[in-house]
Amino acid sequence: MSLVRNLIRRKLRTSLTIIGISVGIWALVVMSSMANKIGSLVEGGSTYFGDKIIVSDASSPAFGLGFTPIPISIVDMVAAVQGVAVAVPQIQLPVELEVSSTGFGIPDFIVGAVADADQGRETFEISVAKGRLLVPGDEGANVVVLGADLARKFDKGIGETMEIRGSEFEVVGVLEPTLTAPDTTILMPLAATQILLAMDAPILARQGISSEELATQIVVYPETGADIDALADAIESSVGQVQTITGDDFDEQIGSATAIFNAIILGVALISLAVGGLSVINTMAMSVAERTREIGIKRSIGASRGRIVRELVVESSLIGLTGGVIGLVLGAIVVLVANEMGRSSGTILFQLTFGTAAFAIVFSTVLGALAGLVPAWTAARLDPVEALRYE
Amino acid sequence: MPFLEATNLHKTYSLGRRNKVYALRGVDMSIESGEMVAIMGPSGCGKSTLMHILGLLHGPDQDLDPPATLTINGNDVTGMSEKVRTRMRASSMGFVFQSFNLVPTLTAAENVALPAIYSGRKRAEANMAASEALEWVGLSEWADHRPTELSGGQQQRVAIARAQVTKPDLLLADEPTGNLDSASTTEVLDLLRRFNEENGQTIVIVTHDAVVGNACGRVLTMLDGVIADAPAA
Repeated sequence: MSLVRNLIRRKLRTSLTIIGISVGIWALVVMSSMANKIGSLVEGGSTYFGDKIIVSDASSPAFGLGFTPIPISIVDMVAAVQGVAVAVPQIQLPVELEVSSTGFGIPDFIVGAVADADQGRETFEISVAKGRLLVPGDEGANVVVLGADLARKFDKGIGETMEIRGSEFEVVGVLEPTLTAPDTTILMPLAATQILLAMDAPILARQGISSEELATQIVVYPETGADIDALADAIESSVGQVQTITGDDFDEQIGSATAIFNAIILGVALISLAVGGLSVINTMAMSVAERTREIGIKRSIGASRGRIVRELVVESSLIGLTGGVIGLVLGAIVVLVANEMGRSSGTILFQLTFGTAAFAIVFSTVLGALAGLVPAWTAARLDPVEALRYE
Repeated sequence: MPFLEATNLHKTYSLGRRNKVYALRGVDMSIESGEMVAIMGPSGCGKSTLMHILGLLHGPDQDLDPPATLTINGNDVTGMSEKVRTRMRASSMGFVFQSFNLVPTLTAAENVALPAIYSGRKRAEANMAASEALEWVGLSEWADHRPTELSGGQQQRVAIARAQVTKPDLLLADEPTGNLDSASTTEVLDLLRRFNEENGQTIVIVTHDAVVGNACGRVLTMLDGVIADAPAA
């Protein structure tokens, strides 16, 4: 009780210090949540790309969004390469005809593939929250399964129809959230995406290429135990005019970029916390100076040095804890509001995990305790007689 | 064996490199268990310094010939570590100061409980002892008030309750009536005498006040860092 009273006694200074810590923790929470989200995206990608090879046209831009059509006949050439277990043609298309800049994250896109064509080799599991996944019999039908974020963005449920790139589709399923790419993906039967792709590129039709001959990429599942990088090289050399992406490529290009980003934002958050910590030291040092006489009284009637240190450190930890809780709540509000606002555009920027929340609280409390330690130790070393004379 | 015995206590303070203050210049004293003794003398005679040493807040000068000795209740306190002296202050000594020295943020009861907590008792036990001690000094109904809500006399009685809460063998009072009017002085002296007579507590009071001196069984007069009277036989 006396502890709380001590804090209340110096309301203004204590509140300013708590605000200082709150801002630091707030920054840490928001930035870590952003890092978490990016981490999830990257980890999802890393898992997805980890055990397979994506083959696309040599002219396609890197990373998954290979929208340059390739003839589906390449599938047979790829499948013939030694070490390839299954080669699945896919089409990826942006959901919007005009791809706008989406900033962070992954743009919304359509993935068209014949269901179960992977022959059970896909290890990246997705499941439906509502409705059903696509089945091979859906080929030829205009049905879609929506990623969790997209279902919310378009506000569509099972059985409703929606217009995608000018055609009507029935929603048959909504995916469970994965916190990574599938959340912003529409799953569609291959044939439907082939038609969408052909409409988008009329030149193909004029060249007499029918829509059934189109794909944008081929997903290659290697045989068990195959050297993925060697296999990727073998595919590139034997098929020609294609590029391959493996899990290592993904980790190298995307993973390293995000690691730098994470380091920067954590650095910013830690700097603001260092400032918060210094302000706790300042507050506690002033508080000790103010209470010199009180410390003298306690020492002279038998309080040990350890007890004086303990009392002051607990007090400063409480400042840290309070600042941490306020910072966490503010951070959580920002994360929730920003995600709610972003949902309509399908851009989920933040992911506040239990780990981040716990770290923020523990970190601010420990910061408070450490910052209180030096002034507390100074106080405990005071000569009780001198301290009693202090006015 | 006397309850408290001191021989050859010196205390020198340095004020700067050349300027030394010889506050005590060889105090010899002996106090029997259950005595109530006043130490009187003019300002600057070393009374307070002696109190700080008896209260184990400072140590006497070391490496003298013959060496300084101080035994309290059979314990040689000159060689004690800071830790042990602190524990002894909490559990077997009570302190009353001129300016009351209550902790302003704590209630009367919380102030009184402090030494009991410092001496290692559980909080509930300490609280019980505190309310008992407040009853002794007649301030039970002021238990939940802060020091600023009490008169000077009441604050000093709270301080006495605090000094009594662990039922120590020795009570040290430094000018306990220095800030009080005569009515409060009488109250405080009556209380101290009661603890001395009823519980056989040894009490040492430093004072300027002849009224206080008269209330004590014996008066030691200090002058220039020594005790002018011969120690009690």
